[in-house]
Amino acid sequence: MEGAAVAVCEILKYLIIHWTCEAGVSKGTLLEGQLMISIETLNSKPQANTLRCVTTIAPAGCLYSGFILKKFIKEIQSVLPRSSAKKLTWTSEENSCSQHASGLTPFQIIFEVDEEPRTLIRDCLIIKHFIRKVIVVHPKIRFNFSVEVNGVLSRDVFGVEKEPTLNLSNGIALVVNCRRYMRSNFGTTEAHCDRIHPVLGHPVTLVIPDDVAGMDLLGELTLTPAAALCPSQKVFSNQLSRISSASIFLYGPLGLPLMSSSWKEPTTAIFKDTSYFIDWKKYHLCMVPHLDLDLDKDVMLPDVGYQVGSSQQDQSQNMDPPGRTLLLFLFMDFHSGFPVQQTELWGVHTLLTTHLSTVLRESHSAVRDSIQFTVDQVLGQHHQAVKTQQKLKASLSVAVNSILTIVTGSTDGSFRKTCLQALQAADTQEFGTKLHKVFHEITQHRFLHQGPCDRKQPSPQEKDSAPRTQAAREHTCPERSAENKRLKTGVDETRAPSPAAAAARRPEPRAAPAPGAPSPGRGLEVGAGAARGGRGAGRPRGSSPGPLCSRRRRCGCGRSPICPSGCVPERGASPGAARDRRRPSLNKTAPHAAAASLNPGPNGPGRGRGRGRAREG
Amino acid sequence: MAFAPMGPEASFFEVLERHRASLLAAQRGGGDPPAAGIRPASSAEVLAAIESVVEDVVRSLARREAPALALHDRASWQNVRFAESAGLQMAPHCTTRKVRSDSQRSAHKFALILKILSMIYKLVQSNTYATKRDIYYMDSQLFGSQTVVDSIIDDISCMLKVPRRSLHISSTSKGLIAGNLSYVEEDGTRVSCTCGATVVAVPSNIQGIRNLITDAKFLLIVEKDATFQRLLDDNFCSRMSPCIMVTGKGTPDLSTRLLVKKLWDTFHIPAFTLVDADPHGIEIMCIYKYGSMSMCFEAHHLTVPAVRWLGLLPSDVSRLHVPKDSLIPLTKRDLMKLDSILKRPYIACQPLWRAEMEAMASSKVKAGIQALTVLSADYLSRVYLPNKLKSGGWI
Repeated sequence: MEGAAVAVCEILKYLIIHWTCEAGVSKGTLLEGQLMISIETLNSKPQANTLRCVTTIAPAGCLYSGFILKKFIKEIQSVLPRSSAKKLTWTSEENSCSQHASGLTPFQIIFEVDEEPRTLIRDCLIIKHFIRKVIVVHPKIRFNFSVEVNGVLSRDVFGVEKEPTLNLSNGIALVVNCRRYMRSNFGTTEAHCDRIHPVLGHPVTLVIPDDVAGMDLLGELTLTPAAALCPSQKVFSNQLSRISSASIFLYGPLGLPLMSSSWKEPTTAIFKDTSYFIDWKKYHLCMVPHLDLDLDKDVMLPDVGYQVGSSQQDQSQNMDPPGRTLLLFLFMDFHSGFPVQQTELWGVHTLLTTHLSTVLRESHSAVRDSIQFTVDQVLGQHHQAVKTQQKLKASLSVAVNSILTIVTGSTDGSFRKTCLQALQAADTQEFGTKLHKVFHEITQHRFLHQGPCDRKQPSPQEKDSAPRTQAAREHTCPERSAENKRLKTGVDETRAPSPAAAAARRPEPRAAPAPGAPSPGRGLEVGAGAARGGRGAGRPRGSSPGPLCSRRRRCGCGRSPICPSGCVPERGASPGAARDRRRPSLNKTAPHAAAASLNPGPNGPGRGRGRGRAREG
Repeated sequence: MAFAPMGPEASFFEVLERHRASLLAAQRGGGDPPAAGIRPASSAEVLAAIESVVEDVVRSLARREAPALALHDRASWQNVRFAESAGLQMAPHCTTRKVRSDSQRSAHKFALILKILSMIYKLVQSNTYATKRDIYYMDSQLFGSQTVVDSIIDDISCMLKVPRRSLHISSTSKGLIAGNLSYVEEDGTRVSCTCGATVVAVPSNIQGIRNLITDAKFLLIVEKDATFQRLLDDNFCSRMSPCIMVTGKGTPDLSTRLLVKKLWDTFHIPAFTLVDADPHGIEIMCIYKYGSMSMCFEAHHLTVPAVRWLGLLPSDVSRLHVPKDSLIPLTKRDLMKLDSILKRPYIACQPLWRAEMEAMASSKVKAGIQALTVLSADYLSRVYLPNKLKSGGWI
């Protein structure tokens, strides 16, 4: 990373750190605001093939009171030698903040860089990627990025206000919109969940070797992993059954991305050994390093990328649609018993940016255990889901063949005719094909892996008629929950000739993994319940990851206890509004936050709408 | 009839004769109307029944609905009614369970049911027979266990209202017969069960046997093979001739129960059970007499309500002063089973049985038949049973 990209990214990091510390943003509160970045190009007279790029960074709002220029210049220039930025200047408005209700910026940071056009393009892409990484953990920060070259202006607005997020802690939230991490190649006909469902690991303390600790840090550095599959395993589909790649995203304190100094070698050395932190063999995966260096994509590019090795893929697999990606987020945070100072955070960021490999190597065992545990939660589920899918596929095949045996073996002409006509088949061969197809369509459509979203899957008829609106993608209603529970057990109980009277059942709570609530001051909270001294309070580090989601919607309606995602309600929606079925955000005030499990499971929520006692089939 | 050497004199059987007469009189007097049970079906009827199931499945698929199979719930007492003349029977309007094809948990069972239906279809079409074990081994990996196959076959029999034999699934019998009985098997083989060096295995095709001939005065149903062998060794059949002995070697299989039923239906011979004085033995006796919950849909072919409890009665244990060393404390499981039997519907009409079981529960001990050997080695065959039979010591 060179030139303008380094400067912009470092300045943005500095501003966000300052913003957090000086504005006194408390834990659990999301940073909210707007940052504008603009790059204007002029022809550089000394060099004909370069452009003089004037970059302006201007935060909006009155967030930078107390911003000390000298301190900023001193600290930012410690990283600017990596950049060829020069003529770093700073301007500010003399008016008070109260006169800036219209959003005029109180100050601007301007610097100039000479770059070749190709370098400028690359730097712009790098900046965009950095911004994308910031907004997925700071959903309330909006970035306006504009570039003017030869009079042509391009403008991008980066924001995720209306996207579902999962609140972690320290003002960090994680956007769980699947499309942020992976371009969907599965088409619109496949019903799938467009959210990822992260599983949180337990935080581990990182030991800083003496030879790299350039400053006295009175606190503790921790690493907390979070993992998810993208797209999430919701629908049993052949397309989604394999793991094809893994992406690792590195974040430092305050949820700011750790960006390597050189974009040409983006992976940190320690991750080049794919098995250093993760044992892939237990899942029969052979991972090789592979980082997509194509910056011209609108999804987040990982810091570390792995791909399933070519030895495991034959030609036919290469023709298959892409499989799932394991997303692994490594959040590193710094805590002390006192309010963390800006210089400490800046120092930790610098330390991690330059010595991440050394730090992680020093705590290899603990880091590996935590990451492996987290990955096991996700891949273990996937593995189980694949096995279940295979078993179901085999069952389907057995059923079809059995029916076919009877139909083709029958000497009763009317029986055969009735069966063929029912499926509009001309002969038994066509009957067999259609039988398999219709069985597959009907049962696979209904085999909803009871994930946390529990969304209503539209039938093909419904999909044609109903527009796929945001509301249509939201939670299931309780009736659907009951239907899912009925499908899960597979059995209705009826008393012939009339069904038995039904009694509404309370939804059966799923067994949730014990919450692993770190003690206050740790980098990651697992929710209000744990923090309040619920099940997870006082639990030592290293215990099972904590559940993150509330059992209740903000509207007060009970819902599936399985949902792992918190949800930031739509802007403008009043608390308790029942119309919005998205899940509530998880902050310290969310009730029952520690109760439920992150892991999607087979049970659907039960609202007791079934007919009588359900019994296993 | 050329059978074994003569047994006791005719006066020995006077009480037995009177008992038989009373049983016949009771039967002529009638009882509760039979429930809608199953009846033997022809091959064409079985094929049609299976085709009907498949047709329903295909029609569901044509309507874009996930097909499901409805099975009678054979595991609920709610679906069982009791009639003294027939024993435990399936209630006319019983609950059903739906095995869905679109549920993760039941899809596999749905497939297995269809698989076994297709196997039965082929057996019936080809007029061949297979045992349940054969069915299992046709695809053991798919089925997983014999228990799964057994359960599904019984479910199919109940669902189609067709006895297992009509499904061309034969039973492997482990039972043994000895005594005054001869018959001809379906393939023409003549069998004589006269006591001798060897005993006769209960045939697997009870429905196929014909030309049954006996002049037995009673049928002794023995719980354990060890006791059966002991009686054979003591020449009990000869000394008590004419009689028939049967053992199911524990919980009786279908063939043994069918044989006992056939002997009763054909000859109305008084049947007596000789079981251990423990809850397990009592339960086995109840199976012969009243049937079981899981097979209640076939009660009319299997139950012999005329069966009487000859021994070993808990009251006999105390009456004969069997040493306490020979008695075994009841376990927790025994007490639970005893409690369960006492709650069953048929105990209400058996006050003497109830009294015996309550005595056992209060004494908290049980005794096997072999406990009588403490009194003398052949006490069972030379003293206990003859006295019981002569004096009408059954309940």
